[in-house]
Amino acid sequence: MSKEKSKKKIFTRRNFMITGGVLTTGLVVGVAGLNAHVNKKIRKYSGKGMGEGSSINAWIRIAPDNKVTVAVGRAEMGQGVYTSIPMLIAEELEVPLENIEVIQPQPESPYANTFMMTQKEPNIFKAYELAEKVMAYLPMVMTGGSTSIPDGFNNMRYAGATAREMLKQAAADEWGIERSKVSTENGYVINNDTKAKLSYGDLSAAAREIDLAELPELKNKSDWKLIGTKAKRLDIPEKVDGTAEFGIDIRKEGMLYAAMIHPSVIGGKITGIKNKEEVEGMEGVKRVLLTDYGVAVVANNTWRAKNGALMLEVEEDNSNNQEISSATIQTSLEEILDQEPLATPDTEGDVDAILSDNNQVIESTYKVPYLAHAAMEPLNCTVLVNDDSAEVWVGHQSSSITQTAVSEVAGVSKKNVTVHTTYLGGGFGRRAESDFVLKATAVAKMMKGIPVQTTFTREEDMKNDMYRPAALSRFKGVVNPNGEIHAWDNMIAIQSVSNSAITRIDPSFAPKPKDDIATVEGAAHLPYIMKNKRVAFGDYKSPIQVGFWRSVGSSQNAFFTESFMDECAHAAGQDPYQFRLAKLGKTPRFKAVLEKVAELGNWGAQDGKYRGIALHKSFGSIVGEVCTITKKGDKEFSIDDFACAIDCGTYVNPDTIEAQMEGGIVFGLSAALYGQITWQNGSVVQSNFPDYDMVRMNVSPSIKVHIMENDHYPGGVGEPGTPPAAPALANALFAATGQRIRELPIMNAGYKFS
Amino acid sequence: MKLNINGKDIDVEVEPGMPLLWVLRDELNMTGTKFGCGVSSCGACTVMIDGVATRTCTLPVGNAQNKKITTIEGIGSPSNLSAVQQAWVEHQVPQCGYCQSGMIMAAEALLDEIPNPTDDDIDAKMTNICRCGTYTRVRAAIHTAAKLRSQATDLLGSL
Ligand code: FES
Ligand code: FES
Repeated sequence: MSKEKSKKKIFTRRNFMITGGVLTTGLVVGVAGLNAHVNKKIRKYSGKGMGEGSSINAWIRIAPDNKVTVAVGRAEMGQGVYTSIPMLIAEELEVPLENIEVIQPQPESPYANTFMMTQKEPNIFKAYELAEKVMAYLPMVMTGGSTSIPDGFNNMRYAGATAREMLKQAAADEWGIERSKVSTENGYVINNDTKAKLSYGDLSAAAREIDLAELPELKNKSDWKLIGTKAKRLDIPEKVDGTAEFGIDIRKEGMLYAAMIHPSVIGGKITGIKNKEEVEGMEGVKRVLLTDYGVAVVANNTWRAKNGALMLEVEEDNSNNQEISSATIQTSLEEILDQEPLATPDTEGDVDAILSDNNQVIESTYKVPYLAHAAMEPLNCTVLVNDDSAEVWVGHQSSSITQTAVSEVAGVSKKNVTVHTTYLGGGFGRRAESDFVLKATAVAKMMKGIPVQTTFTREEDMKNDMYRPAALSRFKGVVNPNGEIHAWDNMIAIQSVSNSAITRIDPSFAPKPKDDIATVEGAAHLPYIMKNKRVAFGDYKSPIQVGFWRSVGSSQNAFFTESFMDECAHAAGQDPYQFRLAKLGKTPRFKAVLEKVAELGNWGAQDGKYRGIALHKSFGSIVGEVCTITKKGDKEFSIDDFACAIDCGTYVNPDTIEAQMEGGIVFGLSAALYGQITWQNGSVVQSNFPDYDMVRMNVSPSIKVHIMENDHYPGGVGEPGTPPAAPALANALFAATGQRIRELPIMNAGYKFS
Repeated sequence: MKLNINGKDIDVEVEPGMPLLWVLRDELNMTGTKFGCGVSSCGACTVMIDGVATRTCTLPVGNAQNKKITTIEGIGSPSNLSAVQQAWVEHQVPQCGYCQSGMIMAAEALLDEIPNPTDDDIDAKMTNICRCGTYTRVRAAIHTAAKLRSQATDLLGSL
């Protein structure tokens, strides 16, 4: 008799409560009393986060009508995760993807992003133990770092496979046969002998009482029907008829709308309101509130609230930071370049000896500015604070950060904070921050019992961002006559993003600047063979808040390294593609990507166009891009075409990946061409799209994408498309003009694009 | 004040200077039309007014009286999508989706004016921002929608 057949009831939710289990949010957690079988890690979350305990496990609920509900603890911000996670589950569960409805669970431990915590392939046995421990301290139900698929690839398939086997066992019990005698198809269990069928919906109640003796086997790749296909996204129908609900679309009975103004200098404080009565007398305005973060005007409509906010006259204490300007920042960064590095994360050979011995040193310093995220949906958050509970509706990358933020400001325990995660009108790292939730909660707390939607105008959003930091990167290189890189010396001056951003989440988890790998990600450990190298950085300390911006350190480091690689190629008199290729002997995956993208981008074509190439690995995936441009006039170009090859290991939905490459390239190009946040008297100069412009249709290139075929574990795809875009374009401009772009944005050098 | 939205007459009581965007979103709870910049720069708030793509974040509602206002809610329903919406689904255009109401309204107006647009026409008329960078798909979908529309016209003609 197989082990699986010896059915053993586990504690149901009800009898577990009677035996005195620990309760949180009304649902069962705790290991005590649960059996020791391998699948307990999944089983014990039955019902959690899925409403009343009718689900098979924490991710899957099947209704009597065979409708499948899947709890996705990741935020849908355009990357397609509301489709890719259901694909992983549906593949193993054997249900049609179209039958799946996605819901957002509350921020509970089964949904923690364990890959983000460990940066390792999750081990199903360890992942949830770790999640439970860490979740007690650090909110980690989080979407970011291109980790949703690396985190979910095994776990979500196991969630589906476990549920499938439980359903099979329930049917086998019903028929009095062994589980091996039944199979599954399209939401039904089939009796192999009699061909009788039972629907998952009919079996679901019995299935959730089944205990499996062991974790089921996952399907072989060759048996996949859904993973690897261009399945249509589940969220698209609502996104073409205007019904998709973003945070800003939340409408509640009796709700009010708020607008806010912030201190005019970073780190400043608004201490008083001079014309409170005047503003409170304006049409539709209900209250003018001084909060810790700024002044809010609460009205019966967003526009009236904003008009009130524009009328405010306030007293401010801006004694600090007024001296901060782009010029002072530049001076500080330059000084850091000349100081001893804070850390040298990548070093080999003796760079100094070669540099001092050689009179053919190529030396260049590159520069990038601060950048704003400028997600399309301006930041907003709707909160209802009651005496001992609170509710929040927001498009946020982390339901657990949201819950913690509301809890802290509202003074309500976390378990009494209900989080409703809507669609996000873009995230890009900005919506992983808690500031807008803290502010909206502060407003709602002063308006107890009334749901208040606080919307930040584009101007307030842009001037109070957590920016991608400015940086300088200095290279000294020596290239041998045969084209070998003899020495590569790179020093970066930048503010630590991880230190700044994680301090805002929980200071005790924030890495020290010297340990912040984001600073050198994509600059250290390059794939190219180099005899002697040193990659170091120095830390710029600043009251400016910096944050994770799509592709983080790689967003600037790819521009630096891949531009300087081009400089080295030209110094050696070699073709930039061949020059790179010759140095990829020890990194075959990089080599394959580079060869593929050169072919896709018609590298070397004699067609009167100019091309630039770049190769970069970030978030576990290798991306090569070739940019093709046409000269239209003096310093006038069209960006005709981007070719892109990505090796992201095993892939889930190739159409989504292509979309992420397309979007990632455009995102990189917007920054390369126009993106700059500058500082004057402690404030940001730019305020809205007219002075912080984006690539639009007329400038946007055509883009073709190739996904490499292999069986490696999946890498991320949301960010890796962005980093190579700027250097590919800058290298193409060099090919066309002989002028090296060493500073972004390119528009500052007088180039025009159409 | 009387407005005609998606073929229906609607009464609203607001100050005539309020931008149409906020009348739609906050007074009528028609949230399909989006706020992106408030300064006529991004196109997220685009609707059609008497058939012309119009940015509503700076358009005083008073100026929209006695005109036909068409919003994203008025061009098709899930069971009866417009040609543009069908093409959007076919090409899987939206990412975050936030700009897409405005993109779709701009595309509807473009195709009403130029049934078979060239790439240059698309460049000239589609000036909305998509921060997610869906432009290549928007372009492809507009060409597909143009075909779908002309097939529908042919079909009508042959009846
Ligand atoms: S919100 Fe109207 S154009 Fe941007
Ligand atoms: S789809 Fe996100 S802004 Fe266009």
